[in-house]
Order: sequence, then C-alpha cells, then structure tokens
Amino acid sequence: MNEFVEAPAAPKETTRQEESLKHRLIGTSVPRTEDERLLRGDGRFTDDVQFAHQLEMAVGRCPFPHARILSIDVSRALELEGVKHVLTGEQVREQSAPLTVLRPVPGAPQLPYYALAQDKATYEGQPVVSVVAVSRALAEDAIELIEIEYEPLPHVSDAIAALEEGAPLLHPQSLASNLLASNGDRAGEPEARIEAADVVLRSRMRIGRVTPLPMETRGVVAVWRPGARELSIHTSTQVPHLVRKQLAESLRIGEECIRVSASDVGGGFGMKLGVYPEDVLASLHAMALRRPVKWIEDRMEHFRASTHGRESIHDYCLAADAEGRFVAMTNTYTTDIGGWNSPFGSSQLSSVIFTGPYRVADAAVERRVAMTNKTPVGAYRGYGQPEVNFALEVLVDRLARKLGKDPLALRELNMLRPEDLPWTVPSGAVYDSGDYLRTLRMAAEAVDYAAHRASPRVPRPDGRILGIGLSSFVERTGYASARFLANRGSKFGAHESVTLRANRSGTIDLYTGVSSIGQSSETAFAQICAEVLGVDFDAVRVHSGDTASSPLNTGAFASRTLIAAAGALREAALPFRDKTLRLGAWALGIAPEEAVIEGYEVRHRDDADKRVPLSDVFSRAILGQGIPHDETPGLETTAHFEPPSAAFSFGTAAAVVAVDPETGEFSVERFVMVHDCGVAVNPMIVEGQVRGALVQGLGAALGEELRYDAVTGQLLSGSMLDYAVPRAADVPPIELLHTEVPSPVTTFGVRGVGEVGTIPPGAAIANALCDALADYGVEFSALPITPESVWRALQAARESTQGAAA
Amino acid sequence: MTLNENEITLTLNGESVRAWAPSRMHAADFLRQRLGRTGTHVGCEQGVCGMCTVMVDGQAVKSCLMLAAQLDGAEVRTVESLAEENGDLNALQQAFKRHHGLQCGFCTPGFLMLATSLAARGEPMSREQIRDEISGVLCRCTGYEGIVRAVEEYLQLQQNEGQVVEVEA
Ligand code: FES
Ligand code: FES
Repeated sequence: MNEFVEAPAAPKETTRQEESLKHRLIGTSVPRTEDERLLRGDGRFTDDVQFAHQLEMAVGRCPFPHARILSIDVSRALELEGVKHVLTGEQVREQSAPLTVLRPVPGAPQLPYYALAQDKATYEGQPVVSVVAVSRALAEDAIELIEIEYEPLPHVSDAIAALEEGAPLLHPQSLASNLLASNGDRAGEPEARIEAADVVLRSRMRIGRVTPLPMETRGVVAVWRPGARELSIHTSTQVPHLVRKQLAESLRIGEECIRVSASDVGGGFGMKLGVYPEDVLASLHAMALRRPVKWIEDRMEHFRASTHGRESIHDYCLAADAEGRFVAMTNTYTTDIGGWNSPFGSSQLSSVIFTGPYRVADAAVERRVAMTNKTPVGAYRGYGQPEVNFALEVLVDRLARKLGKDPLALRELNMLRPEDLPWTVPSGAVYDSGDYLRTLRMAAEAVDYAAHRASPRVPRPDGRILGIGLSSFVERTGYASARFLANRGSKFGAHESVTLRANRSGTIDLYTGVSSIGQSSETAFAQICAEVLGVDFDAVRVHSGDTASSPLNTGAFASRTLIAAAGALREAALPFRDKTLRLGAWALGIAPEEAVIEGYEVRHRDDADKRVPLSDVFSRAILGQGIPHDETPGLETTAHFEPPSAAFSFGTAAAVVAVDPETGEFSVERFVMVHDCGVAVNPMIVEGQVRGALVQGLGAALGEELRYDAVTGQLLSGSMLDYAVPRAADVPPIELLHTEVPSPVTTFGVRGVGEVGTIPPGAAIANALCDALADYGVEFSALPITPESVWRALQAARESTQGAAA
Repeated sequence: MTLNENEITLTLNGESVRAWAPSRMHAADFLRQRLGRTGTHVGCEQGVCGMCTVMVDGQAVKSCLMLAAQLDGAEVRTVESLAEENGDLNALQQAFKRHHGLQCGFCTPGFLMLATSLAARGEPMSREQIRDEISGVLCRCTGYEGIVRAVEEYLQLQQNEGQVVEVEA
C-alpha cells in the first residue's frame, strides 16, 4: 500500500535522442528547493508584503443574488476619521474599462463586467463599493456606514431553468437570453448510428458546484509612482504576465507601466487565473491616493468573490450494438458560468475528452454556457474533465448492467489500443500515445477484481456490502498550438519561456514568469536546466513570477507548465552550454569538443588536470575579457517554446467501497490509481501532485458542495464551517501505480500531471456503490454522493420495484 | 500607539517583547502585523483551517481565536523558532522535506507547530491517531500523506531520543 510502484517499462514509442541518454537528474526525486524557505516561515505570500504608509481596502458587496442599485450614499463613510478614499460604480466606469476574459467563448459578446457593479448586481457578493482607510477594520466600519438602496430582482440559480423561456434575464443589454454562447464539435453520423443501434442509453448527469479553496485566499498590494508611471502589483496569482495584460486593458494604461509579481502563492488550482475586480480597485485607489493599497480577501468573501468550479449538467446518449460495442455517443451539456464571465472563461475540456479512452468514431458534443445569479465559475483543476468523466463512466457501467456484461470486459472491448493511436477525437484534438488497456488491467488486478466478481454480493458481518468500481480516463494536458487556441478564442499563447543568465559566482540565474504555487516548478525547472547544462542542481537559482525580470510567458495552469517549459529550458540551455564550453575551452587552450561541464567546472574530457571554474568562465563572459575575439561578451539566453501538440495522460482508478444497504452509510476502503504521465521529471513531486488532486476529487465526490437556497438564491454553504473539505482523518487509503509511456510530442516525453487526480474519483465511487447494491437496482446521476443520497437512491429503487410489483 | 491600544508583554520564541495592539485585534494579526512574524498564516479567522496554529504556553492553539491581549504574560512559539541554532532545519522540518509534506507551504507552519506540541506529549501514536490529531489543520495541496509520514517519523524519533535519555538517567 501507499507505494509509488515503478511498473515495468512500457515499450518505447519514440526514438528521441533524450531517451537514449541516461539522465542524471531527470527522473530522480530531488528534494525541493522551495521547502527551505517555506519550512522556516520565510515564504513571502501576498499578505506578507508590507509597505511604509500602506493603506487597506475593504469591499462592500451585494447581499442579493440579483438586485438593482437605486442609490448609494457614501457621505457618512467619508466623514469617518482615517477613511481616505471611496469608489462607487460610477467612478469606476469613468476610470476603467470592463474586465476582459482570457478565454472568451467564441461567439459570446463581451459583457460589461466593471470592477464595481453599475446599475445592477447579478450575484451575491458582487463588489458594489470599495473603501480605503488606515486599517482594514476601519475600512470595514466605513462600509457599514455606506447607505445603498437595493431593489431585489427576480433571480434564477439553476442553469437549466435559466435557459427556459421567461427566466429572469441577467444581461438584457448584451444578451437576448441567459445563453452566453454555445458551440459544438462532431464527427461521423452519430444520430443515424443511434437510430440503428441495438441499445441506447440516455441520462442526465449533474455535477455539483464546488470551490477550489486554496488555503491562501486572494490578495493584492498596489503601489503607484506617478512620476515614474509605474504601477507595481503584488498579487496571489498563477499568471503574473496575464494579470498584467488584463490590468493594462482595464486601467487603460500601457503594459510597460505595470509590474506584477507573485512571490509565493498559497495554492491556486485554477482559481487564481486572471484579473479580478479587486485587483482593478486596489490599483485605482492607489493611483488616486499615491499610497500603497493592500486588500486581502477574507474567507467569507472568498466563498462569494472568488470563482467557483465544476457545476454542469450533461445530457448523454450512449449507443451500442448487442455485444456492447459503442457505436455512437452524444453529449449536450450546460455549464453554469454564474453572474458574469469569469476572468478565465468557461471550460471546454468536456468537449475535448467526452468520448473518453474509447474507440467511437461517430460522436457529437454541444456546449451551452448558461448565466445564473451565482458567483462566476472559473477554472478548477481538471476543468471540465472530472465532470465529463463522471457522466460517461457511470453510463458505461449502466450499459454493462443493461447488457448483463462485466464492466471491465465492456471497457476492454471498447478501449483504444496502442495501435489505434494517434487518434483524432471530434474536437480535432489528437490522443498522442499510450496503453490505456494496461492501466485498466493493472487497476483491476490491484483490487482483485476477478475474485470479487466471482463472489456473491452478501453483507459482511458488519452488515456492509463490498463493491468495486472502475473509472478509466484520458486527460488532455497542456495545450496544442497557438493556432489551435486561436480557433477557440483564446487570448493567451501556448508557449512557455525562460531566461538563463550566468553570474560571477559560477551559478546560473533562471528567470521564469511561472509563479510558485505549490507545483514545485522551481525544483523541476532547476533539475531540467542542470541536467542539460551538466552543472550541479544547486548551481541553478530559479527566480519566479515577476514580470519585470522574466520573459513573457503564459503561466501555471492546464497541466501545461512543465510540458511547455521543458522545451524552453532545453532550448535555452543548449546554446548556454555551448558558449560556456567555447569560452572554457579557450581558457584552457583546448578545443570546445574536448571540453565538458561538470559540477562547477569546465574541464578536459580526458584530462582532469585541465580545469577551470565556472566562476572564472562566467566572469570572462561578463567582463568580455579573456574570451575569443569572435565571441560577444555576456552569457545569457532566452528561449520560447511551444509544444507541437497537447499530450494526453491516461489511466484507470478502482474504488472499493463498503456500504450499509439499510442506512446508506458507506466508506471508501481502498482507492487505487493507475496513471501514466509519461516521463516523470521528479517522481516524488508527481506522487504529491496525484495524491493532492485525488483528495480534492474525493472531496468533490463525497460531500463538497456549494448549495444555494432555491427560494432566496442565497449561498447556504458559504463558510469553512459549512463547506467540508477533506481533513487528514477523512482520506481513504490511496495506492498509486504508474506506467511510463513517453509522449512523442513533448520534450523528454513528459505529460502533465497536476490535475489528473481530480478526474476519476466520482465515477469510480458511484460505480462501486452500484456494484455493491446491484441487487437493489440503485443508480446515481449526480455528484456529490453522500450517505443521504445513497439512502435516497435505495428508497427510490425500493419504490420503483414495489410500484412494478403492484 | 493610540489610546485604545493595549500594552502586551510576552515571551516570543524565547525573547521578551513588548508591543501594543487594538482591543479587537486577534493574536494571529498581532503576531504578523505588530511583531513581524509572518510565518504564522491566516486562512479563515473562524477557527477551522488551522493556518494560524502557534504554541502558547506549550499548547498548540489557533491564534485567530485568541485576542492579542490574551497573549499578555504568555510564552509564545512560532514557526520562526524551529530551525536549529546553526541555521539547519530541525528534525521535524527535515522530515517534512524528506516526505514531501508540503507543496504551496501555506499550511506548513500550522502543521509544524501542531506536530511540535504533539511531540511534547511524549506519547507514542499510531498513524490513525496522528491523522485524527492533525485534523484541525487543513491542507488543500498534499492529500496529507507526506505530512502524516513526516509527523510519524518525527514522533518516533522523539520517542527514541526520549528513551535514550531515560536509560542514561
Ligand atoms: S485562521 Fe485561524 S483557524 Fe483559520
Ligand atoms: S501545502 Fe498547500 S495547503 Fe498544504
């Protein structure tokens, strides 16, 4: 248990030069560089940044899900001693432009989402006024003194209801309905195949609304130096360069005037992906006051003001022949984007992987983005993939039951084989390579699936029945080319970049725009850089997340960082290495071909006595002294790299549950995850990423849910006391197994790994419960699944059998 | 200092300090903002997340639930006190590093202080007990496995060292 088992190497599918090399650092569990500061309390999170004469901001928020703002009277707040500045919607409209969206849905209008609500607010928690004072407490007191007259409007909180005729309209000036946009992909003739199929299953599957809930909330410190025309922003973000772009757009100033830095970020999980209203507000206040302004989101605000995740409804249709061969698949799904377009935009990965790891050529998918009077939904780890995996994999088991087949056998029958790959799915995306079937078999073996199937479903002495559920998946990691993104309306690129700079100490500064959000990029980047250069791991110092020092990049999301950065690191390190060798060889009086870099030295390949320290070589380069005449001074390289394609991770999870058929109480007794992320740069980090994401996936499967009151439209589970994230004692035993099929489309064969764990838990657990309760005819069509929902499913099953008997 | 601020004298990480805080300021903000010990974090101010866990008079407490004024006369330990005098990470910190018990590191100070107080009890603990005992601090990144392994190893080490001392005495 709990071991990160190295499976026997899979057949190599590429002949990349890198793979023939024996790696020194790539593939080893180097301890993390980040830990040294974080373990000492020396991290620098946004709230740790403090300036002289700093002021603090508080934000007044709409308490209703939908309300017209009739009047705002700030006079009493301004009279309070210590209050420095107040902003209302009117001033914000004069001084800034609406927030832009990084990934607008093609065909959707740009909504006028200003940093403060204009004539009306469309979600509970939308900022309406902001106040800056000498302390946060005083700013909050001032908010209390502002009189705002609201006229509550009819609201809609259900995404399906929002799209019905007669629903209250959120943005009538921009949209004739609450449908922000819809778009689809298709291949073949799914409708005709469904018509002709032997079995057709249709089901509506609901995935609940959750919150990514990083332990560090959002925060921003804005400093404006008018004479220098420099706005300096410290913020907790995954994408400093994209925040800079979006801030420039909203503040209507040039990007050159803005510096964004994110030092340590206390978790993001997709939620810290782009500009938020408070970033614009703090900037406007700072620019008006010429004093530093800090805003730190409190947790109650966080539940309403930071983007939520997941909520979507999938109407699936799965058609098969009598043997169980899938002949067609369609999925029309509705994602709930909330009251405004979030800074990142609606998920579209459900459309990319809705056919899962299966061979089905005739398939169609349609995405509908619905607006409701709730907090905007943004990116969250997996972003569309856990949702669609739950819907599809639950349906696969349902088909197995309908046909009287073993769910494992049904998956085996339909799964893409290595020789089927590369495989193009309806969206045009291409599954690169992999052995999906192998992960399925490994997962089944790990939980002794065959023995379980052969034994009868009888309760154990404790009254509980055991069940095993499988969930197989393919995960898109990274992005295909910028060209692909352009077709999907994206306002960011697909590349990553890095700058390497030699310094006189004989070490290398590595600059990246990727901020440190817990994904260990500092460690992994240094590993790759040191590997290519031949220097010690400790010789590389990573400086991350500052737009003033790093080359323009994209950022840490979509499991793309390492995929793209690995290429950039290699492209920057190779010329850096070559120049180091040329200068070192010159110093030694040998030919560059005879020189090698080792540790902190350049030396002769065969003669250890001929050696020169890197500090010497780098000093020569920096001074321009003691170098060949045809060399330019300096030793600094920058590379931008765009992967030729996205890499697809894959795997299978198996859950073992024990459920009480009377009460619905259940527990997950084992959870096995077999996963392939290609070449693991640092297996320890990979294990940490997979485990962490699995626990988030388990949390969302087993209880996390942001519920809204159907009548009042108010958020019911909007505090840490009401929203239960997994604690250490709640986590079931998790076993990780992995295979390693190198991706042919990425540098070093890596595939992304940050999000995968969120994908399979929901379906694996639902399928395990259905397996245990097979004799009761229980079905699940919604996440989360709690003992109460199991009990209800049991009641429903009993009633329907009684109804049938009567 | 303004009129409605209270004077507070305490021992912080072995050093005697005197500072002022408004009556309604909680202890976590006081440690961070008035005493500059920003290793102690704030995640909810509701007593749920445990990010603000510090040791007060030998006990792990959630400092967001205490008022600054309650620290008057107390002996307080924060994460900044853990490393060895020569600057090395202490055994607990090393165990966290070795077992990958942190990713973003925001929760780490809370877990370190909680584990330090658990070790002070000097009782052996099973993995299950450790999981229960550390459930007052949340981590959204790691899935807890590395944290549990690190705490288990550290407690065992403390146990062994304790036994050695007893035998010698
Ligand atoms: S900040 Fe104290 S428990 Fe969350
Ligand atoms: S390491 Fe990020 S919350 Fe624990």
